[in-house]
Amino acid sequence: MSSGDSMWSDDVTDFRDAGLAGAASGGAGGGEESAIEAYGIGKKYRRGWALKDCSFRLPAGRICGLVGPNGAGKTTLMGIAADLLEPTAGTLRVFGSAPGSDEANRRTAFLAQEKPLFRRFTVAETLRLGRELNPGWDQQAAENIVRAGNVPFDAKIGTLSGGQRTRVAFALSFGKRPDLLLLDEPMSDLDPLVRHELMGTLMAEAAEHGTSVLMSTHMLGELENVCDYLMVIADGGLRLAGEVDELLAAHTLLTGARTDGETAGVPASLTRHTVVEARTSGRQVTAMVRPAGPVEGVWQAETPNLEELLLAYLRSPQAPPLLTASSQVSDRAGDRTGAKAVAA
Amino acid sequence: MTTMTNAQASPATTGPARRGPRLSGLNWLVWRQHRAAFWTLIVGTVLAAGWIVYQRGQMIDALRALGWPGHLSDGWDMKLSSVAFTTTGYSLGFLPIVLGVFVGAPLISGDLENGTAKLVTSQSVSRVRWIATKLGITVLVVAVGTAVLAGVFGWWWSPVKGGENFASWTSGATFDNTGPVPTALTLFMLVGGVAIGLVLRRTLLSMVVTFGFAVVVKIVWSYFRLDLGNVVTITTNKGVLTSSPALPNAAYEVDRWFTTASGKLYGWGTCVTEPEAKVQGCLDAKGVVGWRVDYLPASQMASMQWFGASILLALTVALVAFILLWGRKRIV
Repeated sequence: MSSGDSMWSDDVTDFRDAGLAGAASGGAGGGEESAIEAYGIGKKYRRGWALKDCSFRLPAGRICGLVGPNGAGKTTLMGIAADLLEPTAGTLRVFGSAPGSDEANRRTAFLAQEKPLFRRFTVAETLRLGRELNPGWDQQAAENIVRAGNVPFDAKIGTLSGGQRTRVAFALSFGKRPDLLLLDEPMSDLDPLVRHELMGTLMAEAAEHGTSVLMSTHMLGELENVCDYLMVIADGGLRLAGEVDELLAAHTLLTGARTDGETAGVPASLTRHTVVEARTSGRQVTAMVRPAGPVEGVWQAETPNLEELLLAYLRSPQAPPLLTASSQVSDRAGDRTGAKAVAA
Repeated sequence: MTTMTNAQASPATTGPARRGPRLSGLNWLVWRQHRAAFWTLIVGTVLAAGWIVYQRGQMIDALRALGWPGHLSDGWDMKLSSVAFTTTGYSLGFLPIVLGVFVGAPLISGDLENGTAKLVTSQSVSRVRWIATKLGITVLVVAVGTAVLAGVFGWWWSPVKGGENFASWTSGATFDNTGPVPTALTLFMLVGGVAIGLVLRRTLLSMVVTFGFAVVVKIVWSYFRLDLGNVVTITTNKGVLTSSPALPNAAYEVDRWFTTASGKLYGWGTCVTEPEAKVQGCLDAKGVVGWRVDYLPASQMASMQWFGASILLALTVALVAFILLWGRKRIV
């Protein structure tokens, strides 16, 4: 292991020492197909690194939420997977092939945040675009999504409302019948009703066809019902990745009273655990911890919900990252990753 | 899974029966996206060609009065009005710039600016194929249009080609609007505009830069146009005051001098300040025996046009290669 990997490897040790579910899920990448594998990818813009030394694995067939503050590198990560951007460092594989290869191109659909469509095309022509340019096009699926929103087929895209346009863009992405669907802030301009309905469509389609979905979003509440996998990035680095259940099980939300004489900060009784975040309000202390063994002291412990967990990690960028076993890549490209990380 | 088998067009997408060949794939997309521009080009070509044919008819009527198609009366080229011809030729001269700015520059920069490049390249087609198709169809339409205009304009000019005072073959109106030159000039400026748009990624900015590029190309071309020929030299030895060298009809005189028997050259203004009676003596004293004239015969016009056009086409091919190489990178 090179020095550049130490941040991750320490954490892996930490996680496994805790004897948590990761070990039970059966080894990193064992047998299961990967939708995405990233080895130390980084992307540098003129302003600096938008994404730095990211290594992770997204197993196939998952619906994965990608969460992070604005400018954290979510769009950059998706852009690299969709072959719109070239990583400055590292490599990424989509179903084992390079983004931009015919194989990856055919199996991946990407819905950009701004949902670009040709404004002068009608809805029917937009679907025809999908049919003409994709060999595995599913006209029925695409039309059903459009019909569900009562969007007229002969309307020009430029005359549609934002939500209707998003729906057509969705139809185009689904009609391609991808194995990996990359959705960048897909729901940002939809009303709650449409959002709920399209999410339902997404889940049904993904379940029926075994589609892997990587979806960036700000709607934390929505993730819990939709996603079974999660990735959190902040400041260009991966903070959290893995199955939602496992991630939640790995954390405990502790509430207790501050003992007199203790100053603000991490209570002494918790120092042997990994404290993601500790907050004090009055005499009450709330701490999100990854317990390394039984917690001593007078604490009320509960399993956090997804929103609490995400907020804790988003508020505490210094917290050590946690990647469950299934989200880690093997050392296949370890040499390359290490070299890039040191250089970075 | 039943939906997988229902990929046939359903009623919603079965449009009214269309005339003409049915395009598919990227060809359909490119034609659909730019059909307004393409139809404008096609209709514009037809209208301009119609105008030229009509004007040629007018000219032929005037020429008949001057003896055409037999021997034309002396000084016919002074009597024939060249206004329509030169105005049309002058207007056609702007066409390469206009097409470079309004067709070339926005062709790809438009897609980059409003995100539709992302839309197309996230379908199952490669970037290079998409760019190549866009470029290919546009180049085809423009090349055919300019070739047609060059053909009919050359046909308009052909009856009056020999007229020295009508429209000289060396002028931009004739040289740049006939043969392969209009197509080559237009394609170069068009592809230049596409390349500029690809690099700058902003429609308006690339249109402005393309305008500058096209104007510079036009100026440089006009400046070096006549350097494409091989200068022919004629020398006389019968004196300079009474005889003058006989140049072929419509030849373009590059320069002329007085020459001595040994080939030493004097400007044709030599001794002009002497009183008239002493001019011959002055010239004799310098040993001037005759004229030396450098000229370009009109017969070289076609070869000069093809030579110039092949240079432009080579540059165009280089630009196309640049565009495709640049397009291999992640452009969005």
